[in-house]
Amino acid sequence: MNFFAPFCIPFMVGAAVMAVALVLKYVLWIWHLPRADRKLLVSGIFTVQSIKAVGEVISESLLHRRIFKVNPLLGYMHASLAFGWFLLITVGWIETIAYLGFRYVPLQGHVFFKYFATCIAEHKPVFDFLMDLLLLIVLSGVALAWGKRLYSKAMGMRRTTKHVLGDRVALSALWFIFPARLVAESLTCAIYGGGGFLTGSISSFLAEHVSGSLLAALYEPSWWFYSSMLGIFFVALPFSRYMHIFTEIPLIFLRRYQLRPREKESSYDNFEIQACSRCGICLDPCQLQSELGINDVQSVYFLRDRRYNRLKLAVANNCLMCGRCEAKCPVGINLNSLRQNSRDTMRNIPDESRYGYLASLDRSQGEGRVGYFAGCMTLLTPRTLSAMERIFAAAGEDVWWADRNGGVCCGRPLKLSGETDSAKKMMRYNKELFYKHNITTLVTSCPICLRVFRDEYALRGIEVLHHSEYILRLMRQGRLKVDAAGGRFTYHDPCELGRGCGIYDQPRAVIEAVGELLEPKHTREDSLCCGASLANTVINDAQQLRIARSMSAEFEQTGASTVVTSCPLCKKTVARGSSLPVKDLSEVVAEHLA
Amino acid sequence: MAAIDWGFSINRPRTIDIDNNNLRKSDEILREMPELQCCIGCGACTASCTAGNLTEFNFRKVHTLVRRGEYQGAYEEMNKCMLCGKCRLLCPRGINTRGVVMLIKRKLGDF
Repeated sequence: MNFFAPFCIPFMVGAAVMAVALVLKYVLWIWHLPRADRKLLVSGIFTVQSIKAVGEVISESLLHRRIFKVNPLLGYMHASLAFGWFLLITVGWIETIAYLGFRYVPLQGHVFFKYFATCIAEHKPVFDFLMDLLLLIVLSGVALAWGKRLYSKAMGMRRTTKHVLGDRVALSALWFIFPARLVAESLTCAIYGGGGFLTGSISSFLAEHVSGSLLAALYEPSWWFYSSMLGIFFVALPFSRYMHIFTEIPLIFLRRYQLRPREKESSYDNFEIQACSRCGICLDPCQLQSELGINDVQSVYFLRDRRYNRLKLAVANNCLMCGRCEAKCPVGINLNSLRQNSRDTMRNIPDESRYGYLASLDRSQGEGRVGYFAGCMTLLTPRTLSAMERIFAAAGEDVWWADRNGGVCCGRPLKLSGETDSAKKMMRYNKELFYKHNITTLVTSCPICLRVFRDEYALRGIEVLHHSEYILRLMRQGRLKVDAAGGRFTYHDPCELGRGCGIYDQPRAVIEAVGELLEPKHTREDSLCCGASLANTVINDAQQLRIARSMSAEFEQTGASTVVTSCPLCKKTVARGSSLPVKDLSEVVAEHLA
Repeated sequence: MAAIDWGFSINRPRTIDIDNNNLRKSDEILREMPELQCCIGCGACTASCTAGNLTEFNFRKVHTLVRRGEYQGAYEEMNKCMLCGKCRLLCPRGINTRGVVMLIKRKLGDF
């Protein structure tokens, strides 16, 4: 049996280009991994993580479970295309084996089996049925994709990605592949017979209503068209958004081996960046989009610009890094880390002489195993500071005050703006200060500081607590008593505390000990950003205020009489946008001390 | 007779000659951050400054001099800033002060 026809050439060329490009990319990326990452990779391969990764590949790359959670219809669209096409290929493979036994069949022989199998007299209706069913499933996905272009709201998406030309070409080719296959197979069945419920019925319709000479004239061109669409798609794949189809698989494995984006750009970032399918699920959560109408800075555009080396500083800088998109990303890309290391590349200027004035500075006071780091923003909200003083006094805690008389910033703001190396100087200073005073517990009331203390400081022997955790602990230990005076509170989750550090329940437990807690519409993982995030140095004051007003409106809708938050920066910002009084968690506790 | 050191000094007479200063960089900065022109010089930024609490760093002075074309030492001074953002919260004109610091550093890195 001959497995070659001239129409196969576009497909064969496309498949070859794709294979070479993919292999080159992956080999280069792995080759350039930092040594530590390569070690993680090697030591991870023969562990249970690899088996777990296989499971995740099936559930995410094929079934797209996380997209089902965003919207079931959107999930079905992605799953029908990915899993449907995968099954079409697999069952097609089995079909060839069933007909021809175990023998070598070239790739195009599998793909265009219907074309080459016309000389086989026997028919296996099971495969005709299965292949038609799978084709129908994929076609339903294509139909939904068309529908999504017209009305994306039906799939829970207010906005969809604006695609570049290359993506549009690849997208059009992908959309044509399956209808083209249906036409080509139906025409073949109309001439040679056979076919399942789909191709079979279309072919009998064609055989009745279309003249035989026309069918014969259309036969070869239809296969040419199908093959060309496949070829175009495969050539475009490694250079367009469809690179995600294959890249998500190594990404899942590498992530299981604990590889992560670093504070400097590294080769691993390529896997994350090119695993972005530009699905646009990150667009709707973005408050810069929904409140300010800024349409070109969202994660999908940031990753695209970075991938094609045309990232602008204004785009990299214009992000609240609130993490709302990261929480929704179906691929689980570390969007904030990638943006941060992009900023590092664009802005980091190592300067050894910088912050020389930190040397021998120590304005701390008090003695105690518990240290309290107010942080710059808490020093600007003295009510929080005095509330903490009262709480410490009520609990009878001896406290070492790290920065009550002025201290050094934790370093996170500088790091967020990309000046990574300079931020390290502040981190080193504070770390040495903590060790010098022999504290065992470090309490901070600023989630921005908390985040960097936990993630970057590596404070061995010092337990780092947010004041919400600390207060709750005092209450549970019976060292702090509050009267349940009642009152209706609502709580704002600060981005750095909630999505950043995963602290949701502790502040809520503290509030519930005092009064009634009413949740706003967007809460916990889905909570809104106050708009004043230190990560954004682009938007102006009026824009910040607009975000603050719109997010504060949700608190008023809860019917609460006080908004509680546990971040000094959020407190200041929400207070600007809200007509309700806004208090820090510590103030609420200090007011209700029994 | 030697002068008595009584702990204070008098600023040396100093003129800023805007006609002779090269305002190209200053114009660029104001073009990118026009809101800086709303500054009323109240000094809230400087009063609240974390770095200013520890050093002589004076944000109001530096950006005012830069706007007048006096770039000498501005980059080094701005490098003392920790970008903590307190000034931005206090600014009565809502100037994006952190953006100003980053912009001045970007524009005046080679002065």
